[in-house]
Amino acid sequence: MDRRFKRVETQLHPIVVSVPSEMSTFLETATISQRLKRSVDSIVTRIATSRRWINLSLTQHQSLLAYCEPMIQWLYPQWTTVGHRARVIANRSETADVFSLVLKPSRRWPSFSAGQYVEISMERDGVRQSRIFSISSSPEHYLQTGKIELTIRVQEDGRMTPWMRQSLGPGMLVNLSDAAGEFVRTDQTTPLLFIAGGSGITPFRSILGQLARLHSQQDILLLAYQRDRTHSLFQQELIRYQEQMPNLKVHYLFSDEVGMISEQHLQAYCPDIRKRQLMICGPTPMIQRARDLAEGLGVASEQIRYEFFGAVPMDLAAQSSADSFVRFDRSDRIAETYADDPLTLLEVAEQSGLNPVSGCRSGVCHQCRCTKKSGVVVNLLTGQESDTGQEDIQLCISVARNDVVLDL
Amino acid sequence: MNFKKECHSWTCFHDSVRCTQIVNFRISEFLITGGQEVIVTTPLPDAATLDSFEREMDALRDETLAKVGQRDANYIRNVVRFQRIADVSGRVLMIAGFYHWSLWIVGTLLLGLAKILDNMEIGHNVMHGQYDWMNDPHINSRDFEWDNVCDGQSWRRTHNYEHHTYTNIIGKDRDFGYDLLRLSDDTRWRKRYRHQFWMYVMLSVFFQWGVAYHELIGERVFFGRKKEKSELPISRAQLAKDFFSKINKSTFRDYLFYPLIGGLVAGIPVFFAVLAGHIIANLIRNLWTSSIIFCGHFTEDVHTFSEADCENESRGQWYYRQLLGSSNLQGNRWFHILTGHLSCQIEHHMFPDIPAFRYVEMSERVRDVCQRHGIHYNTGSFFKQYTTVVQRIIKYSKPTPAELKTA
Repeated sequence: MDRRFKRVETQLHPIVVSVPSEMSTFLETATISQRLKRSVDSIVTRIATSRRWINLSLTQHQSLLAYCEPMIQWLYPQWTTVGHRARVIANRSETADVFSLVLKPSRRWPSFSAGQYVEISMERDGVRQSRIFSISSSPEHYLQTGKIELTIRVQEDGRMTPWMRQSLGPGMLVNLSDAAGEFVRTDQTTPLLFIAGGSGITPFRSILGQLARLHSQQDILLLAYQRDRTHSLFQQELIRYQEQMPNLKVHYLFSDEVGMISEQHLQAYCPDIRKRQLMICGPTPMIQRARDLAEGLGVASEQIRYEFFGAVPMDLAAQSSADSFVRFDRSDRIAETYADDPLTLLEVAEQSGLNPVSGCRSGVCHQCRCTKKSGVVVNLLTGQESDTGQEDIQLCISVARNDVVLDL
Repeated sequence: MNFKKECHSWTCFHDSVRCTQIVNFRISEFLITGGQEVIVTTPLPDAATLDSFEREMDALRDETLAKVGQRDANYIRNVVRFQRIADVSGRVLMIAGFYHWSLWIVGTLLLGLAKILDNMEIGHNVMHGQYDWMNDPHINSRDFEWDNVCDGQSWRRTHNYEHHTYTNIIGKDRDFGYDLLRLSDDTRWRKRYRHQFWMYVMLSVFFQWGVAYHELIGERVFFGRKKEKSELPISRAQLAKDFFSKINKSTFRDYLFYPLIGGLVAGIPVFFAVLAGHIIANLIRNLWTSSIIFCGHFTEDVHTFSEADCENESRGQWYYRQLLGSSNLQGNRWFHILTGHLSCQIEHHMFPDIPAFRYVEMSERVRDVCQRHGIHYNTGSFFKQYTTVVQRIIKYSKPTPAELKTA
C-alpha cells in the first residue's frame, strides 16, 4: 500500500521522493479522493497504452482505418489498409508478349534496392489477387521521378497477367508491398557475371540502370538469353549503358540462333568465370542448367546466386504431377507427398509433427484456412486447380499438385 | 421387429408397438441390444433416389459457385457499408437524443438494426467462409470479429464445426436445445424441463450471452466435472481468458464508452439514456436472432438423428440429413437479409460456404428437386413456423407417459 502510494506520488510530483511515516499514516486514513485519483490515473495510463484494445472494442478491427475500409473503397475501389497504394501511370508494350507497368507508389512507400521485387495486388472479379514481380527500373529513377516500372511477361493461360495487360490503364490504383529480396549487388569491387533468361533480365536492368547513372567502374559481364530477335528485351538500352560504364560488357544471345546456355558460351564470353560472382535470373530449368555448367567450370557454389522470376509457369506446374515437396515456411520443415497416394495438406502437416488448427476435415468449417505462399494445389471438393501465387486455402481439402510452400 | 413409433423423432427407445408402416429403415445392427431396445435411425430414400438427389445438389452447388464473383463482393461490401453507417449514426443519434427524444428512438432502432446485420448477414456468413474466395484482408473467416459478446474464435469452433458437421445429432450437436431445453424425446425428461418455456424466454432475452457461454458449458470450464475427452485446441485457461476478454471489450463499448460520451456531452440523464438505448438495441438483436435461429432447427417437422446416422454417410446422405434437420422461412428480400439468409436454413446447411444471398435463388431449385424425389421440404411463413417452435417447446416440457411413470 505504502509503496504503491509513493510510486504514484512520485509520478504526480517528481520532487517528493519519500513520504514521512506519520504523514503516510495520515494519508492512509484520508485516501478516498486519493484512491479515486489513483484509479483514474491507472485507467488513463491503461487507455493510453492500449489503443489496440480500444480499437478492437469499438470497431472489432485492429485499426479504425480497417473499420472504415469499405467506405473508403466507395471512393477508391482498390484501396486497402494492407500495403501501399500505387497509381498506374502507363501500360507500355515492350515486345509481343511482354509489357511494362509504370507505377507511382504513394509517398509512404519505402524505396528499394536494385534487384528487389514487390508484390502487386489488385482486385479482379471480386477477388484480390497478388503477384510478385522484380522492379525493372532503378532506385535513382524512383528518386528523381517517383515512378517505378514492373516488366511482366504475359502467361498465355495465366489468370492475371493477360488481364493486367488488358485492364490496368493510367489512373487505376493497385496495391504494392514493401520491396523485398536478397538478389542485390553486395559489394562494389568484385567482378560480376549476370546471366539472364527471358524476362529474367528485369532485375539486371534495375541494377545496371543504377550503376550507369553512377558511372560505376565495376567489372560486369551480362549474358542475356532471349528467345529470338523480335522478343528481345531492353537490348538497345542495356547496350547503351556500355558507354557510361567502361567495364560493362553486354552480350545478347538468341536461343533460336545459338541454342540454350552451354559450356562453350560461358568459355567464349567469360574465360575468367572463376573469379567472378554469378547472379542468375530466369526460368527454373535455365537456372539449374547455368548453375551446373558454372560449377562444372570450377565456380564455387557460394559464388552463385540466383532468383526465380515470378511464379512457376502454369504449363510447367500442371505437368509435374509427380511426387512433390511441401515446405512449411514458418516452422522450416519439408515433407514429401506421393502422387500415387496423395494426402491432404492437413494430413501432411500433421505427419510432419505440426498441429494446425482444424475442425471438420471435410471442407465445411473453414477453420484450417492457411496461406499458401506458392505452388499449385487441387481442391478436392471442387476439383479445381489453384493459382500458382499466394492465396488462402483450406488445408483439409487441398492436395499438392507440385511443390507447395505453406505459411505454417 | 418391435419398437415404439415416435414420429417427430425417429430415434425410439423401449419396444412396445409393432410398427409396419415405416419401411426402409437403416438399422445399425450394433444398436440392437438384447432384442429389447432398438434405435431406429432416420429412414432413407432408396439408393437410386439418393444418388440422383446427390447429383442434382452437387450440380446446383457447382453452377452457383461458377457464378460467384464481383456481384457477391459488391453485395457484401454494400451490406458492410450500410451496417457501419447504421452502427455509428445509431450511437450518435442516441446521444443527440438530448436535443429531441425522437432522435434517441431512431438511434436505438438503427443500432439494433446494425447489430442484427452485423451478426446475421455479415458476421455469421463471413465467419462461415462464404467470402473467403475474395482474399480480402478483413472480410474473411479467419480474422472477422463481430459486434457480439461471443468471441468469434469460440463461435467458429462450436458453430462451424460442431453444429454444421453433426447437425441435429442428439448428444453431438449441442445447438439442439443448447443444453437447456428439451426439444425431442431423445433427451430424457427431468423436472427442470417443466418450466422450460420461461427458460426459453430468458435465453432469448440474453441470447448473445448464451452464445458466448456455449463452448464453456460444453467444456465445463467453471462448473461441473472436467470432460475426459475434449477436442478443444486451446487450453481451458485460454478459453476462459478469451471469453472474458471479449466480454470486456463489448461491455466497455456499449455500456461505458458511448454512455460516458453522452454524459460528457449533455449531462448525466443522457448517460442513462444512451445506456438504456444500448441495452434495448442489444435486446432487439437478441430477440430477433434467437427467434430466427429457433425457427431454423426446432420447428415441428424437423428431424433428429443418432450418431450412427452420420457414420460413413455418403454425400447424398449428408445433404439429406441437413435437409431434414432444417426448416425455412418465407419472406421478402429485406426479411431474408435481416435473417442473414437463415430464412434459407436448408440451403445454408447444404451449402454452408456459398455466399448467403444466393440461397434465395437456390431454394427454388432445391424445392423443385425435393418435390421430384418425394422428399419433404420444410418451409412456411415466419408466424407459422414460429408458432410450431413455441408449441414444440411447450410439448416437450412435459414428459412422455412412460417417463412420467418412472419419474
